[in-house]
Amino acid sequence: MLPLTLRGSAFMTDKSSDLVQGTLDMLILKTLALEPMHGWGIAVRIEQISRGVFRVNAGSLFVAFQRLQRAGWIKSEWKATENNRRAKYYTLTEQGRRKLNSETREWERQVAAIARILEAS
Amino acid sequence: MSLFRTIRGGLRALFLRERVDGEFDDELHGFLEMAVAEKMKEGMSRQEALRAVRLERGSLDGTKEIVRAAGWEFFVETCWLDLRFAARVLRKSPAFTTVAIVTLALGIGANTAVFGVVNALVLRPLPVDRPNELVFLENARYRPGHSFPNYRDLRDRNRAFAGLVGYRIAPMEMETDTGAQRIWGYLATGNYFDILGVRPVLGRFFTQSEDVHPGASPYAVLSYNAWRSRFGADSAIIGKTIRLNRLPYTVMAVAPPDFHGTELFYWPEVWVPMMMQPRIESNSWLENRNDWNTWVVGRLKPNISPAQAEADLNAIATEMARQYPDVNDGLQFKLAKPGLVGNMIGGPARAFAFGVLILAALVLLAACTNLASMFTARATDRERDLAVRLAIGAGRGRVVRQVLTEALLLTLVGGGVGYLLAWFLSRVLSRWRAPMDFPVQFNVNPDWHVFLFALAGAVIAGALFGSAPAWRASRTDPNAALRGTSGVCRGGRFAFRDLLVVTQVALCFVLVSASFLALRGLQQALQMNLGFQPQHVATAAFDLGLAGYSAERGQAFQQQTLQAIQQLPGVQFAAYSNSVPLSIDQSTTSVSPADKTDPRPSDSISVAYYQVSPGFFAAMGTKLLAGREFTWHDDAKSQQVAIVNVAFAKRVLRSDHAFDALGKRFRGGVLAPLAEVIGVAEDGKYENLTESEQPAVFWSILQFYNSTTMLEVKSSLPATQMVPQIRQTISRLDPELPLYGVGSLEQMLGFAFFPTRAAAIALSAFGGLAIMLAATGINGLVSYAVSRRTHEIGIRLAIGARPAEVLRLVLGKTAALLAFGSLVGLTLALAAGQVISSIVYETRPHDPLAMFGVWIGIALLGLFASWAPARRALRVDPMVALRYE
Repeated sequence: MLPLTLRGSAFMTDKSSDLVQGTLDMLILKTLALEPMHGWGIAVRIEQISRGVFRVNAGSLFVAFQRLQRAGWIKSEWKATENNRRAKYYTLTEQGRRKLNSETREWERQVAAIARILEAS
Repeated sequence: MSLFRTIRGGLRALFLRERVDGEFDDELHGFLEMAVAEKMKEGMSRQEALRAVRLERGSLDGTKEIVRAAGWEFFVETCWLDLRFAARVLRKSPAFTTVAIVTLALGIGANTAVFGVVNALVLRPLPVDRPNELVFLENARYRPGHSFPNYRDLRDRNRAFAGLVGYRIAPMEMETDTGAQRIWGYLATGNYFDILGVRPVLGRFFTQSEDVHPGASPYAVLSYNAWRSRFGADSAIIGKTIRLNRLPYTVMAVAPPDFHGTELFYWPEVWVPMMMQPRIESNSWLENRNDWNTWVVGRLKPNISPAQAEADLNAIATEMARQYPDVNDGLQFKLAKPGLVGNMIGGPARAFAFGVLILAALVLLAACTNLASMFTARATDRERDLAVRLAIGAGRGRVVRQVLTEALLLTLVGGGVGYLLAWFLSRVLSRWRAPMDFPVQFNVNPDWHVFLFALAGAVIAGALFGSAPAWRASRTDPNAALRGTSGVCRGGRFAFRDLLVVTQVALCFVLVSASFLALRGLQQALQMNLGFQPQHVATAAFDLGLAGYSAERGQAFQQQTLQAIQQLPGVQFAAYSNSVPLSIDQSTTSVSPADKTDPRPSDSISVAYYQVSPGFFAAMGTKLLAGREFTWHDDAKSQQVAIVNVAFAKRVLRSDHAFDALGKRFRGGVLAPLAEVIGVAEDGKYENLTESEQPAVFWSILQFYNSTTMLEVKSSLPATQMVPQIRQTISRLDPELPLYGVGSLEQMLGFAFFPTRAAAIALSAFGGLAIMLAATGINGLVSYAVSRRTHEIGIRLAIGARPAEVLRLVLGKTAALLAFGSLVGLTLALAAGQVISSIVYETRPHDPLAMFGVWIGIALLGLFASWAPARRALRVDPMVALRYE
């Protein structure tokens, strides 16, 4: 995972917690692991679960969808929402599920390592 | 899979742009509506909610742009935009675009054409199976030939080769519907086709069983061209009989269309087994160890390096020298690249081709500097345009890309036109048959290597001349440019563009002086003393051996013909000989001084020899410095005599003065055991124009008969008027006898002058290109200087400047740059002169007259090129100029 920080305009958060690009991908995959979801739903879900730490703007969200779709980790189809609107729903593919698992393990490994370093001092 | 999806997604976005955009619009709208609905649920009005969403999530259009720019297809899309913009910009200045495209087309075209020739002569392998394993065997002393018994020993004793083939270029007389005709073919050993790995179109090729009994294998293989042109592509040709030298041969096979043997320049019509040599050529040499007539090509065994093979061969050579010391003493072998008779023709041909390629590259470089300075000038004029683009937010990278795209578009169009030019040129060259009695033809048709070369040339050229203005564009300061101050302030100092002009003038100087030197070389070569006077001499040749004459009948026929020719009106002198100097057919023999009792090959000296009739020296205009010509009494019944040249007298007879050589004796190799010198002739050129003081000996053809007969007829009439009469006379004596080499002696010398002529044509073409480039370059420079300073000139004229002062202002710097460039060019040209003098004969590397001429030429060219813009400067109307801003 490349530790690329997003430009301020592309990925806005209300608190100064810059996220690396791959992290957004992982959050989207994680959100979709529960159920298929449309773009707004994913944005809201990420915001809710992070208790408002991450607020994703439309640009970075849709660029991420394009990227994940081209990588074959998610796929999309048009469906009706509960409010009877039409929206594009994204679904996790089998490949995406495997990717999420390996990414999660890698993330946990890194977090544990960083935690150890911070605790050591 | 993921790569596939990426490509598919990108292509979909590129080609279904509207659908993809529409879909994304729907999705984004839905997203924003849901966000707004959420906000409105919290009690905001729709207006407030829209504003809040835009702040939190980004604007609709901004988001679209971000998503659009994320994929790879965006790069392609912007390139396409750049390209369309570049095309529009270039269309708006047609004069500039035309000059640029023509310059590039000529530059790239010249390079591609030359590369095509290099590709055909050097890089392209022979059209045979695994061509990299083939090598040409050179004999260190008698290169390129080997004696046939020596070849047989090498073939049977070597351990390094999968096979060695022996072959020889040979003329034959073929009977056709329209009478006998002299054609050219190959004598080849039985393993020839097998070892080369060629498969026939029809029939089967000959094999080793055709190598056994001399005279017992009357078979022929036709070349594809001969089969089509002479036999109408007759599919039942196999087994039919053709008549060569009045004997029947059975056609065994037809060779594939692209196979012309192992020499790139020679297209034979027929292959005949080597064992038929005594029937094809009049003297049999298959068993003679001292006749060096066989050429040898070998196929290395896999995993054997040429060096190993050479060592193997030389070990055998040592054995052979011990076995046959009288002929093989000092025998040594070298390997060379096949295709051009080893290094004999290959060496100089490759050197020349690469030399011309370097010149062509220089022309392209000059074209690039020319365009770079034109482009930089344009970029300076477009500074305001670039500044506006930068000011409204174009990235510097995008501006650089735009300028480079323009350059690349120009070079690709120019390169395309250039490639077409080169293609046409090479088609013409491939079809061209040199006007001589020898099937010289090159297949220089361009293949994909040549196309790639042209493409690479175009891209490199674009990068070369595009990078300078692109770099300048990237440094544009929008502030200064928009105020309109940047260019004018920078005008006075030495600029990058000035460096380009100096480079260009220097390059042109080198190119022009190179072609000038070569042309003067050619002029001198045409006037140099050849040792004979070719003017007003007509020639005609026939071979009595091929026509089935015995030696006795042949000799009688030769004399009968000569007597008939001498009766023709206008004839001053007539004679015959086996060959004349500087024709294709040259023979050498080894001679040694008479005082050596048991001469070994290492003591002997290799000399050119001719068998000539009485009157030969008078007809050829060769001066005799001492002694006499042959008479009709110098025949088989009298003492063996010889006429030698000065170099022979000095080197073999050790006579410093021509008269001292008279009466001396020497051993004349195979032909004459002991001969006495009765005359000394002036030195001449025999094999080629570059040789220096080659010894030569002339025998009386009455003492040493040769069936090959060439008539030399000197008359008061032009040779072209003599020719029909000569033809008529001979056909009266033997209507069946085919003639060849009919024409003027000067025409025949075309072969010897061919390299010099080719060089001169190539070099003058490049010189012409260089002159054109220099003219447009200097013209561009001065025009630009004038247009940039119109304002300033206007002010100066308004406050009373005289025309001379304005001219000095405009031309002063140009003159300085011109002078400096020429100086650099002169230095380079002196170095280049060394190279050229090694290619073109009679060229002096430091020809002061040529250098001075080029200098004056460049100065005049500069004046000429700056004339129009300078006049424009003088005509500047102060009022108009001051209102210019």
